[in-house]
Amino acid sequence: MDGVSFHVDRGETVGIVGESGSGKSVTAMSILRLVAEPGRIASGRILFGDEGKQKDVVQMTDDEIREFRGNDVAMIFQDPMTSMNPVLKVGFQIKEAMAAHERFTPKQARDRVVPMLKRVRIPAPEDRAKNYPHQFSGGMRQRAMIAMGLSNEPHLLIADEPTTALDVTVQAQIIELLRDLNRDLGTAVILITHNLAVVASLCTRVIVMYAGRIVEEGPTRQIFKSPQHPYTWSLLRSIPRLDEYQHEKLLTISGLPPDLTNPPPGCKFHPRCRFRVDRCLEEEPPLGEVDPGQKARCWVLMRNALAAQPQQAGQP
Amino acid sequence: MATAPSDYALQEDFVASEQYEVGESVSLWQDTWRRMRRNRLALIATAFVLFVLLVAIVSQFWTPYPIWKQGVGPTYQTPTLKHPLGLDQSGRDILSRLMGGAAISMEVGIGTALLSSVIGIVLGLLAGFYRGWIDSIISLVINVWYGIPDLLVVIMIVVITGRRELLFIIIAISITAWVNMARLVRGQTLSLREREFVEAARSIGTRDFSILFRHIFPNALGPIIVQATYLVPSAIIFEAFLSYLGLGVPPPNPSWGAMTAEGYRSLQYAPHITLIPALALGLTLVALNAFGDGLRDALDPRMRR
Repeated sequence: MDGVSFHVDRGETVGIVGESGSGKSVTAMSILRLVAEPGRIASGRILFGDEGKQKDVVQMTDDEIREFRGNDVAMIFQDPMTSMNPVLKVGFQIKEAMAAHERFTPKQARDRVVPMLKRVRIPAPEDRAKNYPHQFSGGMRQRAMIAMGLSNEPHLLIADEPTTALDVTVQAQIIELLRDLNRDLGTAVILITHNLAVVASLCTRVIVMYAGRIVEEGPTRQIFKSPQHPYTWSLLRSIPRLDEYQHEKLLTISGLPPDLTNPPPGCKFHPRCRFRVDRCLEEEPPLGEVDPGQKARCWVLMRNALAAQPQQAGQP
Repeated sequence: MATAPSDYALQEDFVASEQYEVGESVSLWQDTWRRMRRNRLALIATAFVLFVLLVAIVSQFWTPYPIWKQGVGPTYQTPTLKHPLGLDQSGRDILSRLMGGAAISMEVGIGTALLSSVIGIVLGLLAGFYRGWIDSIISLVINVWYGIPDLLVVIMIVVITGRRELLFIIIAISITAWVNMARLVRGQTLSLREREFVEAARSIGTRDFSILFRHIFPNALGPIIVQATYLVPSAIIFEAFLSYLGLGVPPPNPSWGAMTAEGYRSLQYAPHITLIPALALGLTLVALNAFGDGLRDALDPRMRR
């Protein structure tokens, strides 16, 4: 991970997309300082809070970081099957999440469990609170995880591939739920996913990551309409669409993501890039502004590439 | 890409209208008991263990004759109606002494299991959870301790300190018996701490103490209980062995091991003095082990057959 810098505004929904191993999850884990053992935060800052009185997560003491987790930022994980403690009742676990911080009295915490379950649309919440996780379906468990994450009213919810392990129909419900909670509670959401459809339906801004770097960033609409980095462009062209390019073959991105212990010189995407120029092999491009609000890390940019080689667009 | 809002409305109706069957909550222990009931050997063993426990408790209030009263009848007498298990070399009632011995065995067994479990669980949790230098130190102690014969350590403790009361015997055995429990708990903790629910708990700011005792410990409870039930018979035989060597609870306390040793001298003409406590010891050990096996199978349904 190198040179990843981004911001999330209050109440905003930001999507982070990229393929496996591109550093999406590590970025999210870093925000809570939960990076697993061999990894560590070598340098950098993670600022949180209102303008002017921001706290740096990297500098926090252990007690501060513990208060920060859950209270200010909560996280939900990919697999709801394994994210809950199998031996404790669901309601109890939600209560525990609140008991970890002194925001609510024990009685308040107890009284909040059922409304939290109701808020995430779990049917019969009074009965369900007394169930064990294995008596919940996958979708319900993810809802319960969201309830747990939101129980301390954090300002930011990090959802690390919240729908990957779920059925397609349940995915839509979870995404809808996240959208409504974002709207009703004003909780900012960072959504980590490799599902572009999820990003399109939920996020106002999107960050595309490749090989531990941000390669493109901007408002969702703009990125989907005119991606400037070849990687983003290829990603968008590699999924079937009903409305456009109906008679074209789907694009594949050949090759594998680079080995990050021994990254290629220059632009990290150049071995797989069909638009590369000589400069890409030697010098890594900066993340530069290409349009108002939109940044891309590329020497070429898609608008120039497509203008120069129009046949490439349709000839993968 | 973006799904039309009407689709979502439809799904919400679907969620709201569906009739959910909320299953009754079956606790782990109800479930375990249900499986245990199907295992006949384990059930018999459980009944036997409960019977020994009951006898041990009764012996504290009532025995047919006072436990250490000598000459209640002819010495070396074989079983009669008045003395169903006969009399020993000092003319003491063997049934009464057997009952008292059950109490001592159970106290040693359960006491050691509890004490060494507590030591083992705490050290195992700390080593597995914090890793690093804490784990290095605890693991070193475990490995060194593992290499020294238990019996040697206990005999040395008893001989050097010269104390032989029951509580001291329990402590001495516990000092050697915690090692396996610590190993087990350390291993369980190492694997459980990587589980996602632990990470999830951490991500909402749960304290280390809560993670250890609310999330990791209860999930390791099954193997811990099984290990603890195996500790009971091994402590009982340990105590019997010490008593046989004359290093256990001092006479005239009726330890089964001591009774066996006392009768050994008259084995040729009064074998019942040795055989009866030996049989009681053997049966109790078999029952406790079978109980532990049954519990293990019942607690972990995946492991069965």
